[in-house]
Amino acid sequence: MIRCEDLKVTFNAGLATEKRALRGVNLTIPQGEFVTVIGSNGAGKSTLLNTIAGDIRSSSGKLLFDDRDVTSLSAAARTRDVARVFQDPLAGTCGDMTIEENMALAYGRGQRGGLKLALNEPLRKLFREQLSRLNLGLEDRLNAQMGLLSGGQRQSVSLLMSALQPSKILLLDEHTAALDPKTAALVMEITDQIVAEKKLTVLMVTHSMRQALDHGSRTIMMHEGQVAFDLSGEERSNYGVKDLLNLFAQIRPDGEELDDDKLLLGA
Amino acid sequence: MSLFSFLGTLEIGFIFGLVAVGVYLTFRVLDFPDLTVDGSFTMGAAVAAALIIAGVNPYLATICAVFGGAAAGLVTAWLNLRFNILHLLASILTMTALYTINLRIMGKPNLALITEPTVLSPFQSLGIPNMYLKVFFVAFVVIAIGLLLAWFLNTQYGMAMRATGSNPRMAQANGIVVNQKIFAGLALSNGLVALAGALFAQTNGFADSTMGIGTIVVGLAAVIVGESLFNSRSMLIIVLSCIVGSLLYRLAVAVALNADFIGFNTSDLNLITAVLVGLALILPQLRREWKARKAAQGGEA
Repeated sequence: MIRCEDLKVTFNAGLATEKRALRGVNLTIPQGEFVTVIGSNGAGKSTLLNTIAGDIRSSSGKLLFDDRDVTSLSAAARTRDVARVFQDPLAGTCGDMTIEENMALAYGRGQRGGLKLALNEPLRKLFREQLSRLNLGLEDRLNAQMGLLSGGQRQSVSLLMSALQPSKILLLDEHTAALDPKTAALVMEITDQIVAEKKLTVLMVTHSMRQALDHGSRTIMMHEGQVAFDLSGEERSNYGVKDLLNLFAQIRPDGEELDDDKLLLGA
Repeated sequence: MSLFSFLGTLEIGFIFGLVAVGVYLTFRVLDFPDLTVDGSFTMGAAVAAALIIAGVNPYLATICAVFGGAAAGLVTAWLNLRFNILHLLASILTMTALYTINLRIMGKPNLALITEPTVLSPFQSLGIPNMYLKVFFVAFVVIAIGLLLAWFLNTQYGMAMRATGSNPRMAQANGIVVNQKIFAGLALSNGLVALAGALFAQTNGFADSTMGIGTIVVGLAAVIVGESLFNSRSMLIIVLSCIVGSLLYRLAVAVALNADFIGFNTSDLNLITAVLVGLALILPQLRREWKARKAAQGGEA
């Protein structure tokens, strides 16, 4: 379970460039719930994810995993509970290390790295099994340099890596945005599989309304650093992309047009 | 080149192989260009020489030298990580401070070790001529350390260190405490370079306050020569190629200085080094351009 209590984040506090990225987020996500997060650029979606992961320190408010207060824990310490996949396929893996080395790093997530060899045969077997789920033929290329793979391949491997260690929370920050539609669909399929298999609590930021409604069981929209609305259950299942867009218009009474094409795309 | 000077070249080549491995750790593994080594090489020599003259066991003195170098590396890492001083500048600050510290350790600009016991003393009763013994000894030590380091870089800790240099954000997202790895890496790198300094002082019989000047360039030259000869992802091959690179670099320099018809003398060493490093950097680039041009022509045909 993730609980945010009046979570606030301010960048450049006290300067002319001050930006209040989160203005008091209150959110409770029960164990095993898959929440999709939408909102326009600058609404605070990524800030929320980065704050939960610990990359960004909150200026006030509280963050709890289950009933443990993790507000003051470092990002590295939170990785025992949190796995993540970034938007940039290059960000989630080390390009100059091999596939198996990258997977070995992810396998050690949340554990103390000791002076044991990071790779061995049983591990390689596990990695091959996992990679074969992707149907990309990567299981025969354990020794290939990560930087030689395509963006879609790297993102698929990042996703597998995030699930190598048991964790409770998976944070997906527009992890299909940089991929072509076919690869994006594949990555989403694997996402759903992994989430169901490991019963993870998931926050997925997406720019695609379709994706937001088709995946998970709850959708929240961020606006100006706050949760503008929260959809779940039957209400959500009756919603279409059009209804979401209407909601968008409502929270922007100034009649500001949606200028983000991606937001409107179905895929 | 006489046999004697050939062996001397090998000996120095092996010793600077340790420097090359240390430079590889900072420049390539951690992506942290560290010039501290100019000071920590001298520091290793100074600590070992001063302690041996004071009557300390040469092995203990060498171990102290390693810790001295490691401490210097920690200072550089601390300046960079705690106070956000640019890594290059932080290392130059440490290097500059070390010049004074090394003079204090030695008490005077140079110390002679010719008549003192060294790490080689226990083996001198074996009856192997000294010039061979020195080469065998340093070769054994340097290769053994190279193998250990290759193993280390394949352990969980070592791999975390490589991830830190390669993609700190990914490393952190996988629970790696990035700063701790940088501290450890700089301590290890400078410890190895100090060990090289301590061995150099003992095999060559002196420590001098200016002996460290240019250590970084020589180390980098060896790393680049090694890299351009062996293109591999295997840690074992990469580490050994640093050592081979150092040997080849030393041999190339020795040949250039010995070729009477060219008319070089020892004071031309810096220019020769710069030209060699320059060539090692230029050739792969030219090869890439040539390949790209050829591929483009092939595509049109």
